[in-house]
Amino acid sequence: MKRPLARAGIVAAFVVLAGIPWIASPSIVQFGINMLLLAALAQGWNIIGGYTGYASFGNSVFYGLGSYGTAIAMLRWHLPFGIGLALGTVIAVIFAALFGRAILRLRGHYFAICTLGLAEVMTAIVSNLEITGRNTGLVLPLLRGDVLFYELSLALVVVATLIVAWIAHSRFGYGLIAIRENEEAAAAMGVDTTRYKVLAFSLSAAISALAGGIHAYWITFIDPVSAFDIGLNVKMIIVTVFGGPGSILGPVLGAFVLSGISEVLSTEISTVAGLFFGAVIVVAVVFMPRGVADLIRRFDKYRWRYFAENVRANRL
Amino acid sequence: MDLLWQGLVNGILLGGLYSLMALGLALVWGVLNIVNLAHGAFIMLGGYACYYMFSGLGIDPFIALPVTMAALFVFGYLLQRHLINLVIRAPMFNTLLLTFGIDVVLTYSAQIAFSADFRTINPSYAGAHFTWLGATIPLVRMIACAIAIALTLLLWLFLARTRLGRAIRATAQNLVAARLYGVEPRSIYALTFGIGAALAGGAGALYGVVSQLNPYIGVSLTAKSFVIAIIGGLESPLGVIAGGLILGLVESMTSLYIGATYTDVASFGILVLVLIVRPTGLFGRTT
Amino acid sequence: MEPVLSVRHLTKRFAGLTALSDVSFDLGRGEILGLIGPNGAGKTTLVNLISGAFRASEGDLRFEGAPIGALPSHRRAKLGIGRTFQIMRPFPGLSVLDNVAVGALFGTGGGHRQLAIARELAHQKLEFVGLAHRADRPAEALGGPDRKRLELAKALAMNPRLLLLDEVMAGLNLAELEAVFAIVRKVRDEGVSVLVIEHVMKAIRSLSDRLLVLHHGEKIAEGKPQQVLSDPTVIEAYLGRRRAAHEGAGT
Repeated sequence: MKRPLARAGIVAAFVVLAGIPWIASPSIVQFGINMLLLAALAQGWNIIGGYTGYASFGNSVFYGLGSYGTAIAMLRWHLPFGIGLALGTVIAVIFAALFGRAILRLRGHYFAICTLGLAEVMTAIVSNLEITGRNTGLVLPLLRGDVLFYELSLALVVVATLIVAWIAHSRFGYGLIAIRENEEAAAAMGVDTTRYKVLAFSLSAAISALAGGIHAYWITFIDPVSAFDIGLNVKMIIVTVFGGPGSILGPVLGAFVLSGISEVLSTEISTVAGLFFGAVIVVAVVFMPRGVADLIRRFDKYRWRYFAENVRANRL
Repeated sequence: MDLLWQGLVNGILLGGLYSLMALGLALVWGVLNIVNLAHGAFIMLGGYACYYMFSGLGIDPFIALPVTMAALFVFGYLLQRHLINLVIRAPMFNTLLLTFGIDVVLTYSAQIAFSADFRTINPSYAGAHFTWLGATIPLVRMIACAIAIALTLLLWLFLARTRLGRAIRATAQNLVAARLYGVEPRSIYALTFGIGAALAGGAGALYGVVSQLNPYIGVSLTAKSFVIAIIGGLESPLGVIAGGLILGLVESMTSLYIGATYTDVASFGILVLVLIVRPTGLFGRTT
Repeated sequence: MEPVLSVRHLTKRFAGLTALSDVSFDLGRGEILGLIGPNGAGKTTLVNLISGAFRASEGDLRFEGAPIGALPSHRRAKLGIGRTFQIMRPFPGLSVLDNVAVGALFGTGGGHRQLAIARELAHQKLEFVGLAHRADRPAEALGGPDRKRLELAKALAMNPRLLLLDEVMAGLNLAELEAVFAIVRKVRDEGVSVLVIEHVMKAIRSLSDRLLVLHHGEKIAEGKPQQVLSDPTVIEAYLGRRRAAHEGAGT
């Protein structure tokens, strides 16, 4: 096996990534922070969506709770950033555990839509509360330190990826995959499906909330519409499915590639960029439905037939 | 009392149009097991088709409506046959993502082709209204609601009474069943998707008459259609009418008594509650 | 000796339809009980009730003396009840080996916590059922008979004390049938109690220590295979129907 070599390569890649902000221009560092946070979010979604098979549209809720938890702790209670971040994460996890029990009984589209509804409701609630600053949102103290935020985001990606790597090779992860593949059979084999799903949902929530908290402090301004933006959740899904759901590095890879493409395109006319982005999604879903990770793994064997095989497998 | 009555009337007029919007989504979902995220974009396209026939060629919007529907039918049929069909057996994520991609493409194409300006289909009688039992009823809203309900009932009759309709319903239960009716599942899928698009087109034309069009209305209309399909279930167009009316009334009552900013909380709150209590929809079959 | 499984007055109704009505029986340690009956007799419903996929409407279920009627599926699996599914349910995205490993990781007593040990165990079970050469294939690539073997291996990897086999022999040829017999007997010899649903009459007769016959959700006979199969009620219910259908087709 070439595993140790691959592992060394991955570690080296992360070391290079960690070094970038010390030499690159500020605009590249800012692009990097966005890209890394998206990678972390995708990795979080990967746990509930990719491994457990539940298409959550509620991860943007956890992201929003993380943002607001951090912001409120810092602004209203004058706590340091670290404690605020922890608080926001705890709130998101509690929320996930409570609602997870109720809504993880739903399957397929129904679960997806229910979490979508949850996101809408949260946006509306936060827009109407005093403590969250209603529609106008909250302004956080300014901290000039893009390098710090970059390294923090990178650390989050590394931690999230390590968690996913552990899941992939653990009893817990096998339980999740069994649920994804066939929930009834998983239960009959002794997997405590409810507990596992709630745990996966909570873990996913924690990662999303951490990303939300980091983003809030970096950008120094949050409002309900941007904090609970479903578009962000859609991005997590696109990036994960593009990269390879249920794989360890796929979501990170997907985030890097797609962030890169959209960054290059957005320097052109933005409408054309959007159009192209949509087209990329369509083409990717049709020709590489299992993501980049699977393409890399199997291209050697199938060569160009890989794309035709995918179409043949999924068409009617 | 008058206020409540007016609110109820508004809710019903809105709800009728809502049910037509959701009808195509529910039909496609029930038969193809695809939640078409581009559904709202189809509605938007229908609106623009009708708008250009009206403003460019001077065709009355209610006469342009069937033409719009025919155009959208062809569009939907071809789209399913040549693109969506390629991933029809893939996991749910993939079909969801594909239709999302289509939505993005359609939205940006519309922005390039039609510009981002607001458009309204404004026939000479747009401002006409009458009073009934103390409630003011705008004429175009009345006609739009009536057409929407009529189309929904027409679909119901089509599914219940015609051979093709029965084949479509059978396909919803079991793909192979379509063959018993002598129809290829592939054609059934494309036909169903075409009908779904045609219904969206019709809804879009009516929407353009009673409200404003721009390239971005799709997403929120897809979301509303979702909610209605969930409340009404996927079993029957009659359930969708009920779902549409419920949503229309809830929105109208919420904006009347709580505030316009809360309409989305109310409608999505209902959605979450319905799903938790009855996962197959309020009027859906229990398993 | 206390029975491993004790079923008393078990009844299951679905929206007005009674699928199983007042069924009682015991299953001893190391015993193979054959469950037969025409289609729709309630055999799979009974398995679903014992495994916990459904809850009984009425009646009492005991496993090794303890009531289990209120426990969810996974708790029953943990106690030592393993099952196969009539409609085979592999985890399609996992390899054959990993499918079986899930059974070893969970299963009785919560299974083995270590992935490496579980996979080793899974490999043994695959050898046991004769599927080791397919270990690395994706489960969805297996054909019919191999899927049945996989179902069996998954259930065995749970290390169950009660094994519920729902038609694992249907569609197998004679040689394959003999192989499965040998496996089931070997499992039984290790002290596992087995409940077998089977359609192939010849198979079930030679395999089972005892037979239980269901008809329209009711138990109509129980006892030694020879005795049960010569019971006029059973012939009437089980074979009579087929004969009637046969004659009906002939005219």
